[in-house]
Amino acid sequence: MVPIQYYMMLSAALFCIGVFGILTRRNALMFLMSVELMLNAANINLVAFSFQNGNLTGQVFSLFTMALAAAEVAVGIGIILVLYRNFSDVDVTKATTMRW
Amino acid sequence: MAGAFDFAPAIALLPFGSFVVALFLGHLMPKRGALAGIIATVGSLLLSIWVALTVLGGETYNEAIYEFVAVGDQPIQFGLLLDPLSSLMLIIVSLIAVLVHVFSLGYMNDEGETGLPRYYGELGLFTASMLAFVMSSNLLMAFMFFELVGLCSYLLIGFWFRRDGPPSAAKKAFLVTRFGDYFFLVGVVAVFATFGTAQFAGPESFPRLAEAALAGEGEATLLFGLDAQTWFTVVGLLILGGVMGKSAQFPFHTWLPDAMEGPTPVSALIHAATMVAAGVYLVARIYGFYALLPTALAVIAFVGGFTALFAATMGVVKREIKQVLAYSTISQYGYIMLALGGGGYVAGVFHLTTHAVFKALLFLGAGSVIIAMHHNEDMWEMGGLKEKMPVTYYAFLSGSLALAGIVPFSGFWSKDEVLFETLIHGFGSDGGIGIALLLAYAMGLVAVFFTGFYTFRMVLLTFHGEPRSDTARDPHGVHWNVKGPLAVLGVLAATVGVINLVPVHTFVPAVPEYLHDWLFYGPEGLNGTYYEELLHNVAGVDPGYPLGEVGTMLASAAVSLGLALAGSALAVALYRGDSPVEHTDRLGSAKTVLFNNYYQDEYQVWLAQGLTMRVARGADKFDQGVVDGVVNGVSSVSLLGGSRVRRIQTGIVSNYATLLTLGLVALLVGIGLMGGWF
Repeated sequence: MVPIQYYMMLSAALFCIGVFGILTRRNALMFLMSVELMLNAANINLVAFSFQNGNLTGQVFSLFTMALAAAEVAVGIGIILVLYRNFSDVDVTKATTMRW
Repeated sequence: MAGAFDFAPAIALLPFGSFVVALFLGHLMPKRGALAGIIATVGSLLLSIWVALTVLGGETYNEAIYEFVAVGDQPIQFGLLLDPLSSLMLIIVSLIAVLVHVFSLGYMNDEGETGLPRYYGELGLFTASMLAFVMSSNLLMAFMFFELVGLCSYLLIGFWFRRDGPPSAAKKAFLVTRFGDYFFLVGVVAVFATFGTAQFAGPESFPRLAEAALAGEGEATLLFGLDAQTWFTVVGLLILGGVMGKSAQFPFHTWLPDAMEGPTPVSALIHAATMVAAGVYLVARIYGFYALLPTALAVIAFVGGFTALFAATMGVVKREIKQVLAYSTISQYGYIMLALGGGGYVAGVFHLTTHAVFKALLFLGAGSVIIAMHHNEDMWEMGGLKEKMPVTYYAFLSGSLALAGIVPFSGFWSKDEVLFETLIHGFGSDGGIGIALLLAYAMGLVAVFFTGFYTFRMVLLTFHGEPRSDTARDPHGVHWNVKGPLAVLGVLAATVGVINLVPVHTFVPAVPEYLHDWLFYGPEGLNGTYYEELLHNVAGVDPGYPLGEVGTMLASAAVSLGLALAGSALAVALYRGDSPVEHTDRLGSAKTVLFNNYYQDEYQVWLAQGLTMRVARGADKFDQGVVDGVVNGVSSVSLLGGSRVRRIQTGIVSNYATLLTLGLVALLVGIGLMGGWF
């Protein structure tokens, strides 16, 4: 059986990649993808601990998370479309009107 | 069966009703509201007489009729106190009010004045507030109506508000009396703080509590670590501030001569029965308190005596008839204060009564002359009015003889008693108060001479000699509504002294002293006998007779009558003949000082503009500069800080994400360090 540390490492690596993507990318679509990576890092954790504990609650929970992620992507893409319509671009640093 | 006391509130409510009726419906009524006022004040007069008769039967009334703040066991309330003193005053006030209303028909309606509903409305409110003041059962209620009286006199003095003089005179009257009232207000608060009650009468009243506290029995809260006698004196003097403002005592007398700008019937009402009388009435009302305080008594007597003399000297040089009367009012109220301070409770009330009658008479007489003279008040333009207006002349003469204190007119009896009481109490008391009373007596005595002089100067210049102007040659006639009140008051001024013929009583015991008996055997704690005991036991003010009781009385009467006659004779000698000339130039530089009223106005204006204004300006600078500066500084610092800090809100999503991530890392590191992970 694969020790839990490996899952942890994998999940942490995925999460860091997601964070890195959010911090460095300017394209809104890349943002969405990075967020998906972070969500999946969390899912791996849920499944791994669920397996470790020997009950299925965590795995069921991760199913819900996937459904939630799908909905979130739908909303996110909607926002990106509006962003594009207003600023003719999907660069997140261009949309700076919501400030002082 | 309902007795007089059940109807007592109506005494004040009737004129209040006439105020409402005259103000809102006066323009529809035939005499513009005068009839409402006359009916209401006649009603008040009849009720007052009924109340007085009931009081004569030995009953008194001291009940709360409305509680408006129910705090503790001594709630703040409106109540009525009907005893010999207040029922006497009720009759005086309502009688003068009736006559003034009738006289106003001649002075205002017949002269075609406008704004009459307002005039009669204000007159009604004035009478109502004075009557309610007189009936007040506690100091706070008295204070409220005291202020209402002040407000009404402000409104009435400024009745002709389109001219320049009256509004300014009204403001002056309001402000000067208000200055005194500040002290009164503080005094009311001090009474509440000290005794927890402001009732005038009854075993729980504040004069009784003060007496108990001085005897070391009761409990009273003393402030500022003073002992009971000192603290009570401070409280008494604070209340006295309001009295001096209203009763125009030095140095608050300056408003009263200016108040002559108002219509003449109003002057009669203000000076005889309401505004100015309110002050001394208050002293008489709480005499049980003042009788405990020798220092306060000495101050009252001294201020009174000084004012009597001071004002009388100014009356000597005035040209306008109403100005002479104004200074005589100040002077006569000085006598009343002198009597009260000198332990002559009955004498003070007696002089208040006779003065109300003869001063109302003199003002109404002057009003009649002013009508005749087409509103010219300069006595040097008059002369020879004696033949043309005999009723006015004889009534005025009766009032003048009373004012000058010539036997047997009413003023003689009361002024003589004032001086006599002060003299004997001055001789009989030891220490400072005895000397103060004797000094005050001396000033009052000298003032008798000046009183006789200015009174007869006024009579001679107005009525005798040849007419000195065209209007005086052909004066305007006056009607019954002017002559009627003059006749009533003229008879009263000559005869009202009958109520207290103390000197005669000494020789012929069959002649009763009504007023003396009336005030000496009142209800428990509110009568003259009790006050004399207090004066004797607590204040150490006792009568003393250097020439024996009868001898002193005769000597005092002879001296005051002699001085009055001397003053009158001097005036007659100087101003008789067909065409009298001015003698004021013989006074030299004193004339300038007298004409300028001892520069009292100037120094008070300097106090207001030179001193108070500068202090106020300095305070304003401090407020605007330092206090506001700090407040504005705080706000501009936060504004500036805000405009800097908001820069972190860039609007760029990546920056927010960076901050979030950094925050998370910092949180993790923090938790790690605290949890000892490393």
